[in-house]
Amino acid sequence: MTQQTWDEVGGLLPHDEFRAASEAIVANIEQVIEGKTATVRLALAVLLAEGHLLIEDVPGVGKTKLAKALARSIDCSVRRIQFTPDLLPSDVTGVSVYNQETHDFEFRPGAVFANLVVGDEINRASPKTQSALLECMEERQVTVDGVTYQLQTPFMVIATQNPIEMEGTYPLPEAQRDRFTARIAMGYPDVGAELAMLDGHGATDPLDQLRPVSDAATVRRLIATVRQVHVADAVKQYAIDLVTATREAPDLRLGASPRATLQLLRTARAVAALEGRDYVLPDDLQALAVPVLAHRIIPTADAQLARRTTDAIVSDLVHRLPLPNDRKRSPYDTRPAGGNGRGPYEPRRP
Amino acid sequence: MTRHRNLGLVAAGATLLAAAPLSAIFEHWTWLIESAIAVGVVAGAAALARALRAPLWGQVLGMLAGLTLALTWLFPAGSEILAVLPTPATFAHFSELLGGSVRDMRSYGVEVPDTPPLLFITVLGVGAVAVVVDLLTVGLRRPALAGLPMLAIYSVPVAVYVDNVPPVPFVIGAVGYLWLLGADNVDRVRRFGRRFTGDGRDVDVWEASPLAAAGRRLAVLGVAVAVLLPLVPVPGMNGSLLDSLSSGNGSGNGTGRPGQGGAPGKIDLFAALSGQLNESEVADLVKVTTNEPSPFYLRFGVADELKSSGFEVTNPTGRPVTRDLPNPTVRDVGGVERRQYEATVEVTRDLDMPLLPVYSEPIRTEDLNSSWLYDDDRQIVFSNRENSRGKRYSFDYVRSTYSPAALRAARKLPADHPLVRRQQTKTPPVPQVTELVNRLVQGKATEYDKVRAIYDYFSSDNGFSYQLRTEGGTSGEDIVDFLTNKVGFCQQYAAAMGWLVRAAGIPARVAFGFTSGSNRNGNTYTLTNRNLHAWTEVYFDGIGWVPFDATPAYGVPGSTRSTWAPDTDAPDPLPDQPGAPNTGTDPEESPGAVGSEREDQDTDAGLALGEETPTEQAPVWPWWAAGSLLLLLVLALPALRRLALRRRRGRRAPAAVAATEPDVGVGPAAGRRMVVVGADADQARADAHAVWDELLDTLVDYRVPVDRTETPRATADRLIGGVLSGHAESVDAMRLLGRAEERARYARDPLTGEPLAPALRAVRGTLAAAAGRRTRLLAAVLPPSVLQRWRLTVADASGRMVAVTGQARHRLLRWNPRRLLADRAAR
Ligand SMILES: Nc1ncnc2c1ncn2[C@@H]1O[C@H](COP(=O)(O)OP(=O)(O)O)[C@@H](O)[C@H]1O
Ligand SMILES: [Mg+2]
Repeated sequence: MTQQTWDEVGGLLPHDEFRAASEAIVANIEQVIEGKTATVRLALAVLLAEGHLLIEDVPGVGKTKLAKALARSIDCSVRRIQFTPDLLPSDVTGVSVYNQETHDFEFRPGAVFANLVVGDEINRASPKTQSALLECMEERQVTVDGVTYQLQTPFMVIATQNPIEMEGTYPLPEAQRDRFTARIAMGYPDVGAELAMLDGHGATDPLDQLRPVSDAATVRRLIATVRQVHVADAVKQYAIDLVTATREAPDLRLGASPRATLQLLRTARAVAALEGRDYVLPDDLQALAVPVLAHRIIPTADAQLARRTTDAIVSDLVHRLPLPNDRKRSPYDTRPAGGNGRGPYEPRRP
Repeated sequence: MTRHRNLGLVAAGATLLAAAPLSAIFEHWTWLIESAIAVGVVAGAAALARALRAPLWGQVLGMLAGLTLALTWLFPAGSEILAVLPTPATFAHFSELLGGSVRDMRSYGVEVPDTPPLLFITVLGVGAVAVVVDLLTVGLRRPALAGLPMLAIYSVPVAVYVDNVPPVPFVIGAVGYLWLLGADNVDRVRRFGRRFTGDGRDVDVWEASPLAAAGRRLAVLGVAVAVLLPLVPVPGMNGSLLDSLSSGNGSGNGTGRPGQGGAPGKIDLFAALSGQLNESEVADLVKVTTNEPSPFYLRFGVADELKSSGFEVTNPTGRPVTRDLPNPTVRDVGGVERRQYEATVEVTRDLDMPLLPVYSEPIRTEDLNSSWLYDDDRQIVFSNRENSRGKRYSFDYVRSTYSPAALRAARKLPADHPLVRRQQTKTPPVPQVTELVNRLVQGKATEYDKVRAIYDYFSSDNGFSYQLRTEGGTSGEDIVDFLTNKVGFCQQYAAAMGWLVRAAGIPARVAFGFTSGSNRNGNTYTLTNRNLHAWTEVYFDGIGWVPFDATPAYGVPGSTRSTWAPDTDAPDPLPDQPGAPNTGTDPEESPGAVGSEREDQDTDAGLALGEETPTEQAPVWPWWAAGSLLLLLVLALPALRRLALRRRRGRRAPAAVAATEPDVGVGPAAGRRMVVVGADADQARADAHAVWDELLDTLVDYRVPVDRTETPRATADRLIGGVLSGHAESVDAMRLLGRAEERARYARDPLTGEPLAPALRAVRGTLAAAAGRRTRLLAAVLPPSVLQRWRLTVADASGRMVAVTGQARHRLLRWNPRRLLADRAAR
């Protein structure tokens, strides 16, 4: 097994090659998942942002399908863990067993030792087992019996789960949720897509015919290229404004973490690159705010009683938050000077 | 609704406060009660209309209807239904009252009595202002504009008291305006809900918030400036507030007021005259209104006894003015034209003497009691008990104008004529005078020719000039001195001419009074101590006393000449003074009088000594022109600022730069390829920003909403989907502008080489076409973008000020003794 360290991501890709490689992956996945281009691109963006993806939706909308299609499009090591209530942490991370022949303990790697780990129905396992993912997802390493083992690059956990209201689920702990870069919902396909699905998937599963269009090395180069995408100061400021707003919002008990800020910018870089830009726009951040931030924050009891979803709260904040303008104070800025210039609670202009 | 009702009440209250300046006009307070009723009814009608959710025009109609009802009730014609519903007769009555008000305005001086026409026009005016203020404040939410109708009320006393504007009522009116602004501000803040402090305490609505305080402070500053500005004397505007204030101080000691106290016969009018003319302070003494177009001098005294020490006043005798006075029209003589006029005189408290100024010759008086007597020989009104201080009276008088031919026809007085017997020709012997008179009258056949010869002698051709600062004696020696030095002022000219005429055997005396002055407002002349004057009167047999003013006209503001005694210094014909306001000489109405009136001037020593030409007063109109120009400039300022901004931004964005648009690349190779010379990139960035700023300003100008939460891309998309949709060229242009700004802000390298200016022009054109005509006009004349920015700048500044003062207060509070003690106790 080739152990690649964190920063060895390979060379950069020129613009055209980047485009070709990324489009190929998206097109490949779209053979299986109908009418979900945005979701697919977002999933790829999370991969290129070196993040982990949580796909949350009701059963039967293609969550597992998307995870598998993504895994299968890239020629790299893929492991799948079906999270069940009786799954043990050692099944995830690995275990040291006593080798009778060598008279020594030997490490048996768990499911996480792969480039892509598909964790299906992650919230059906007990919190104890879920927690086994904490270290590997953030630090890309596994420590068993005092020995630390590095994971490979790329390393991505693609988890699926049902909404917590569904039966037989354990809600993910906050720490676990925070480690997922983005949570995306599949949503029902529209009429045309569903019709296409019926036509294409009626007889055979196209997933079986899916061939890899990329490999781990290419993905590493894609990741390296994404890291070079330019983020202007104003955009950084905007990202900070955004997470600060979640921390100050009266509807929220817990705001976004600094890790969220970091991952927001990384994902924005990936999205910008996928769109063929070498710079991030505030528009990217606005589009990513809900997928990247909404699953990390906790609304207050009042907001919960009012049935305000975190998605709604975050998109509300985005709509109220003025753009930072590092050039000069905007003439349309009606806030008193010298005050907290980032108060998000102004009514949006009609 | 409650909110609106409150604001409506404030509007009504502010209107009443703004009406305070009218108190300076009326004698009593009836106007206030009636105005309050009208304003109250208007406010009630407005509240009712709003409660019924009437549209704006409905509210206005309601208020007008309310005003009509109130007027009907207050000024009924007698035929009203239920006392408040007007009938055609009511409106006929109203128009009658309106006509009457014009007449009353002319006939009454301030302070006016409570005549129904004047009350009607006042209530109508205040009610109309209440309607407008309510409409602006509640209906249109533009309380700042409500200051204009309020100011209109204030302009009434300003127009009446030309140079002595009462400041206190203005302050009251201004307080009303501030109240209105403050209430509106509170109302605006309230619309967002209640205000809380951080710990949840309710904040009183009137407690200073940075929002409201800014407006209040601004308004206070504005009022302070408005009050202080008139105190600064502006050249060319005589009679500023400061003058009257300082003269008010000076009037306390009252030195040398003409004939202060005492009996009418015991006044040294000469001493009083020179004292007054030399007084450095100017005080209003008399205000006279007459329907005579160009009246000759207002007269109050006569010195008709000539001793070797000079002319002296003798004891007058007369009959009460309440009886009929002799009418000169009965002494009808050919060539003498007599016309009857009426005049009203108002004496200020600064003029205190037992004589009353009147035009000669009065035939009937009004508002004077029988303790005032008329001496029909001396033609003066005097009293042994009362004095003139603060008196206000009217009289009819007959003005005689004499043709030289008629005067020439007058014969020499017979020796038994009562005047000769009363020694009105008696002259102390002074050889030089006798010699001079003999020389002058030699060969003159008629009395008039003799008098004219003497009169003409005092011309600048003979070396006479005007100087106020000379010894004013009229004794024989003084007269000789004057005839030798030929420098003096009115009393020397008057006395010298009187002396010479008497020496020629013709009765003559010195009359005292006021010239018409230089402060004329319509038919009203405001006369000051500087307008006091003396002239000569000569008696012609069968005709009467005829005035001659020998004093050089340039030394006397408001000097008036006549056909029988023309201005000897003026070349023929009398040229118009360029620039000097012609105070309305109407030769058709007064064929005998030729007016030559001048501005008040400080007649100091150097002015006239040896100078032949009268000094020209700087004309006033340039000040008005400059003022109007300045006003226009101020109004044009936002538009000019906008133009300058656009020009500057246009210069930053040249139409096209020959450069290639760099590829949008992700790779580092592409990135390196795109690296352009720093200066160029900065320039391109600045250009894009300039164009974008201009676009935003254009949006604001054309009332397209601008959203601070929008990215350039989102703004472009919104416009493309909205106003610009369907204009292919503008859509492309907009997309380019959005991309350029986006790249300039967020990319490593800005977009270069794209023609941004034409794109902006295209978008601007489409926006302008989509905007309404009114919006376009406003965008050109008062661009909202500039106004908004200025307002924000001011708000920022005052916000900072509020913050600083708040901090200072906080720091001061730390030294509050109570707090210090509490601290110690805690320890
Ligand atoms: N948008 C879609 N495009 C293509 N197939 C879909 C789509 N949504 C659901 N399916 C089909 O529905 C079935 C259930 O999908 P699966 O991924 O197992 O659901 P779950 O969300 O429960 O994991 C699959 O056979 C998949 O092909
Ligand atoms: Mg599944």
